[in-house]
Amino acid sequence: MKNLKRILCLALCLMLTLACLPAMAAGSVKIGVLVADATGAEALAFRAYYEKYIAKAYDVEFIYSEELKTADGEKDAIDNFIVNNCKAVISFSSVDRPAQIEQCETAGIYYAVATGTLTDEEYEDFKNYEHYVGAIGPSLNTEFQVGYNMAAYYIDQGMTKFGMFGGAVPYRTDMHIYRAAGMLCAMVDKGGEGAAYQGVNKPDDIIGMIYGTGTIETGKIGNLELLAYVGGYDFDDAWFGKLAQMAGTEGIEAILTVGSGVDVLGSFVAGSSVKLATVDSFTPAMGEAMNSGIIDYVAGKFATSIGPIFIATLNAVNGQPIRNEEGCALALDQGYWVATNAEQFAQYYAVDSSEENPAYSKDILDAYAPAGVSYEDFAAFVAQYSFEEITALKK
Amino acid sequence: MGKQTWKERIPAFASILGLMVLIAAYYIVGAIRDANVAYGLKAIVNQSVVVALVATGAVFIYTLGSFDISLGAATGVSALLGAMAYNATGNLLVMFLVCVGVAVVLGFINSSLASIFNLPIFVTTVAMMSVLSAFMLILIGWNGAGDTIKVKARDVRPLDNIPFKVAILAAYIALCWFVFTLLPTGREAKFTGGNPVCARLSGINEKKLGIIASLISAVGIGLGAFVTIIYAPTLTKDTASSIGMDVIIAIVFGGMPVSGGPRSRILSAVVGAFSMGFMTQIMSMLNLGSGYGQMIKAAIFLLVVFIALGSQRGKLLTR
Repeated sequence: MKNLKRILCLALCLMLTLACLPAMAAGSVKIGVLVADATGAEALAFRAYYEKYIAKAYDVEFIYSEELKTADGEKDAIDNFIVNNCKAVISFSSVDRPAQIEQCETAGIYYAVATGTLTDEEYEDFKNYEHYVGAIGPSLNTEFQVGYNMAAYYIDQGMTKFGMFGGAVPYRTDMHIYRAAGMLCAMVDKGGEGAAYQGVNKPDDIIGMIYGTGTIETGKIGNLELLAYVGGYDFDDAWFGKLAQMAGTEGIEAILTVGSGVDVLGSFVAGSSVKLATVDSFTPAMGEAMNSGIIDYVAGKFATSIGPIFIATLNAVNGQPIRNEEGCALALDQGYWVATNAEQFAQYYAVDSSEENPAYSKDILDAYAPAGVSYEDFAAFVAQYSFEEITALKK
Repeated sequence: MGKQTWKERIPAFASILGLMVLIAAYYIVGAIRDANVAYGLKAIVNQSVVVALVATGAVFIYTLGSFDISLGAATGVSALLGAMAYNATGNLLVMFLVCVGVAVVLGFINSSLASIFNLPIFVTTVAMMSVLSAFMLILIGWNGAGDTIKVKARDVRPLDNIPFKVAILAAYIALCWFVFTLLPTGREAKFTGGNPVCARLSGINEKKLGIIASLISAVGIGLGAFVTIIYAPTLTKDTASSIGMDVIIAIVFGGMPVSGGPRSRILSAVVGAFSMGFMTQIMSMLNLGSGYGQMIKAAIFLLVVFIALGSQRGKLLTR
């Protein structure tokens, strides 16, 4: 028994020593990364791009936070980055962005928002902060348009009966509400004369109504019909029962989801004629779902979309922040890639996931690394986010 | 009852020794990694103080051999209602009183239900956890401002400093230590936790003790909720959700048996909470990634608890 205890203690010491070894061989510039999701396929794809490509291509070390769900968790994580002498923070976590920006400004480290944007009011508050690099990601208008385009895609094919999964709409999550509102607005616009959702037909009114109720009402929208709706992420038997019921609703032609479509509905629509559409990301699991016919339409974030915000952050760390003529920080919109068949998805994914030559490779990013890169040039570069445009840049 | 050998004494101080080793490791790793060690100490206090407050109060419940799984949800509800009260009145004192008041009411409901239905407190807290988690969602919906309830950061910033938080923690520890050590309530709680049958036969009112323990614990929850708001004034449905588990870990890490009884100590919660804070900082400095870091934390946790509880194995009448 005594020997066993000694072996256990020795093993513990060995673990700690081994743990120190990779830490010794760190890159010269440390960048903290705040993440709200540490295990999802999309989060892992983002992380792989930074750690397997960017960290090797540039002399940087990324320090990741734990999975963050609360504002105090975000604050703790930034404190940990400051302790680790990180020069910048790239944030994928959005519980309290203003607090994150304030904390980094006070500490004198650079801060950037990845795959998201600030509200107009927030941008006005922080655009002149010395250490606020900016934000590159889908704005709420883009989220609205993603939902709109998804619904329009099926309505234009002649479909009239839909189901909808609202994800975090009951929790009043902005991007899910805007995507859902976009879907409803497409139905209003294309539902014929007098079409309206619950008596309203303007985007702002529909958005306000969803914020107020935290749900989507089923019913006719002109000559279109929303037959079923499920929201939330309860993950209990009753919730799965509702999802199964929606997938099996008679006459339903397509189910539009604001996110997580394959995870929550994939098994229920598999083998049926119901088309499933979702906003998600370009991951292996999504590729399999496309190949097997479970999913029909993906508007997805691509892993390398976080390349431009990295190079903007590195520029700032190197003393060459990209600012507009008034000296304001970046506020740039970046949309999704949309795949509507397996071949298209495979083509996009192959480029996006490459560890040797990803979509935003070092060659492309380096063009925006030197001092003196103008805001306008950088904005034009970010605006070329479609697969075809990035592929053209590589040539 | 002969004189104790040094081998017998080590377990009694294992948790404090563990904390000292972690502090030493923190400085060593900090030096190797060229970390900002001074800033890290401030971060450790910020990250540990809420757990220390809630865990210190929870020691009373754990001493009885009971268990409260709703600590996190109760802290969350108290914080949400405190924030809503502040937004309605603009008065920090009102926010403070609502945080503590709500927590006390919830603690009273928990313990009263346990008394009325003659159930262990643990059972009522399981039900209460579900109710409170749902209530948090309802409160956020009522508030009608997206998926958060916010207090303006600049309004609470003057209180968001280490001396103020340490003062709150010190005052609460002093209060708990006084009740636990100098008043009969503490001795009765230890007796009940160690041997409930003997305690009952000796005339100790277990239900009354349960209510007192819940109320004292509730004050810690209310203070924890208040400090949570001043530290990070944007609250969500997940606010304080990890506190329940953190409190259990802190109490065990601090050298107190979760089964309660005579070996219960008020300071266990503080020692455990700060040990966790140092350990988290060390793992962060090593940049191990959450998976590997969690495994090492678990191994250290097991080692410290193994040594701390070493002297009790095989003994009768200790829990």
